Amino acid sequence: MGRHTCIWVALLTMGVASMVQARIKLVALPERQATVIRLDNPQATLIEEERVLTLQKGVNQVDFSWKGVYIDVDSIRLAILDHPDKVRLLSVSYPPGEAALVWDIASDGDFAETVRISYLLSYIDRLITYRATADKAETQLDLKSYIVLRNFSGEDFDKARVLLDYGEAFEQGIQHEETKQLLFLKAPKVPMRKVWTFDAAKLPWDPEELNNQNVGIPVAYRIVNDEKGGLGRFALWGGKMRLFQDDGHESTIFLGEDNSTLIPVGEKTEVYIGDSRDIVVTQRKMKDQRINLRKNNAGQVILYDTDEEITAKIENFKNTTAVLTMIQHIPGQWDMGQCNLKYIKKDASTLEFEIELPARTADKPASQELKMQYHRRNVPEGPAVGIMGQPEQTPVG
Amino acid sequence: MKRTLIAIVMTCMTGHALAKVDLVTLPARDTVQLTIYNSADLTLARESRALTLCEGVNRLQFSWENTLIDPTSLEMTPKAFADRIEVSDLTYPPRVRNLGLWDIQSQIKDKVPVEISYLTSGLAWRAFYMGTLSTDERTMSLQGYVRVTNNSGEDYENAQVRLIVGRIHLLDQIAELARREHPYGSPTPPVPAATAAPMRQMMEIDKLRTKASLGYGFASGGAGGRMAPKAIEKEGLSEYFLYTIEGTETIPTGWSKRLASLAADGVPVVNLYKFEEERYGRAVVRFLSFKNDKEHKLGDTPIPDGRMKVFRLADQATHLAYEGQSSFKYIPVGEDVELNLGPVADVVVEPTLVDFKTENHRFDKNGNVAGYDEVKTVKLAVRNTREIPVDVDIRRNFGMSSWDLDKTGDFDAFAKVDKDTVKFILKLAARSGKTFEYKVRIYKGTRQEDWRP
Repeated sequence: MGRHTCIWVALLTMGVASMVQARIKLVALPERQATVIRLDNPQATLIEEERVLTLQKGVNQVDFSWKGVYIDVDSIRLAILDHPDKVRLLSVSYPPGEAALVWDIASDGDFAETVRISYLLSYIDRLITYRATADKAETQLDLKSYIVLRNFSGEDFDKARVLLDYGEAFEQGIQHEETKQLLFLKAPKVPMRKVWTFDAAKLPWDPEELNNQNVGIPVAYRIVNDEKGGLGRFALWGGKMRLFQDDGHESTIFLGEDNSTLIPVGEKTEVYIGDSRDIVVTQRKMKDQRINLRKNNAGQVILYDTDEEITAKIENFKNTTAVLTMIQHIPGQWDMGQCNLKYIKKDASTLEFEIELPARTADKPASQELKMQYHRRNVPEGPAVGIMGQPEQTPVG
Repeated sequence: MKRTLIAIVMTCMTGHALAKVDLVTLPARDTVQLTIYNSADLTLARESRALTLCEGVNRLQFSWENTLIDPTSLEMTPKAFADRIEVSDLTYPPRVRNLGLWDIQSQIKDKVPVEISYLTSGLAWRAFYMGTLSTDERTMSLQGYVRVTNNSGEDYENAQVRLIVGRIHLLDQIAELARREHPYGSPTPPVPAATAAPMRQMMEIDKLRTKASLGYGFASGGAGGRMAPKAIEKEGLSEYFLYTIEGTETIPTGWSKRLASLAADGVPVVNLYKFEEERYGRAVVRFLSFKNDKEHKLGDTPIPDGRMKVFRLADQATHLAYEGQSSFKYIPVGEDVELNLGPVADVVVEPTLVDFKTENHRFDKNGNVAGYDEVKTVKLAVRNTREIPVDVDIRRNFGMSSWDLDKTGDFDAFAKVDKDTVKFILKLAARSGKTFEYKVRIYKGTRQEDWRP
């Protein structure tokens, strides 16, 4: 039994007809045998513990109390394991003002009966964390995952089988108010891809208009939960991922951290590490004209098309190549007039460009320019909506 | 020499008996490396120690009272016999703060170098610069510095110091993680009274800092008897730049130190004066610009963001005049630097509306005005009263995209910036002036239907 154990099981054998008002608790304290902590449901932790009750023929009262331990009282179950046909649970009583219950158990004989008590226990849970170290070339990750057991339930567990929703069960003790970090996954060669993303709806267009502030281009590592990387055996649960990089001097630097979401087998995820200030995007709207005006009988414009032109200059100041994912948004009905770079239409209003940027030369950055001229069609008159879903600039004269 | 707040106790467990614990050794810290970030209150500390392991289970106790270490970042890695040593778990025992216990399964009995790394708060660095313009203001002597400050609560002796330039993404502040009562928090509902503990800890740190400031100084090591300033090695890693300071430094808590990071003489600069009423009002704003490239005697590495104080050589006796200061953003190699030195009175731009009219009115069926042209003629008189040549960048915003422009007069370059903005560039000799004029026709209302670009 643990030093701090608060759950007690007491056994009292009674005469058949006697109903004792003053509860006598201490008769035998059966040791907790096999204990299982099931952490497969993030909403609640299920504890199963086995104890051997020395039952006598007749009705036995078993007192189960949990002072200071956060047990969901309605979740407590008792299972008879050795003689289920000869030992029966008759009733459950709850004494007033106590964290306890009393089981009335009828036994057809004298048995050392193994029972399994199960209940939901609050404030004992697990977190998942990841620690990944990228190689210097940023092509693969040495990924480690840890399970962090936190026990603030009020109960000590000296030895228990811990079950997650995947992988093998393992034996572990954990005391009340104790936290344990256990390594449970090592994948030393997970292929990864580094991605830079400029989303025109989220980032400022013109760095010149910011007073001495850099526009950081978000950088992420993309990994896939599959066999290629030594993964793919089970879904990777969401958790904090800290990323480091081998610096080539037998040391590492800390790249950043992000919360990774649950990654089902075969799926990919992107872990955001920070912002690049070596890739600079300057986007401007060079033309925005209403055309094909349609008017009502009163001569008021009720519908029109637009003729718009966007230019975006992308400069790579890095001395390595990069592939920038650029996301542009055109709301409503539209058609593309001219566009000098290839794009994929991700949905009705989202265009995605993959722009390959060479490394900068000795004297200047590598530069690419996106030029797209498009028409929005059948725009109703009213508060005009611009490309980013923001009202267009009101003419000031 | 110093008080050590981080302590290590090593125990060796014989057999499986948990109760039988023998004290084995108290390993000292051999080397320390600090990688300090400037975009967040964050330092990656890495220290090496030699542990004497026995076969079987070894338990290592690591404690860090009165420091700002994030306990969730602790990691231990054996640097030898890695295949025969397994660091299986890390336990944060109940009702004890700032203490972790590693269980190490070893198949060998030997002295093993290990590396312990963690993230800590309280160490910081920042970059700042001083520029000295030549008397003709065509070139500048540039000095860059970094200042490293240790308020972590821990003295770091003979530490290799590395500085990281870059913008990092963090989910939690390291200082907050360091002050948590439980390393990974607790799933129980928060108790308001718990906030008292971090305050106590901070007070203790403050006391220690005061004590340290009386007894310690910032000391350099690793280059004994040196007569020259330390070199800083610079290299790019991922989206970061890493500055490694030569040798080692001893950094007592509470102290800071300035180190030279950059020096370049004769950097060509352009005195650029900008005028844009919507952004700067009626004043002309002075900018000093140069490029982070070889032509400008720079360009080896990006320049970290910081503040620059600009001086000018006032006379032959090298007396200085203070010109102003500006903070500037991170400058990648090959990009322009623009220092905003504030509004000036010695370069003047005077816009005058010389003519205004409306014409080509359109009416709707009810006889109301539905569209018209607004025609403005604007004269801009630009004067440079300084004794040096300057460039002036004048931007005009028209507020909408349907406009035509006629321009005449004395300007050097013109460009359309975007759909409603144009710029004029003027190069003015010392004590000179130029005048130009533009006539803009802005199509309003239904007149926009008639506009063709």
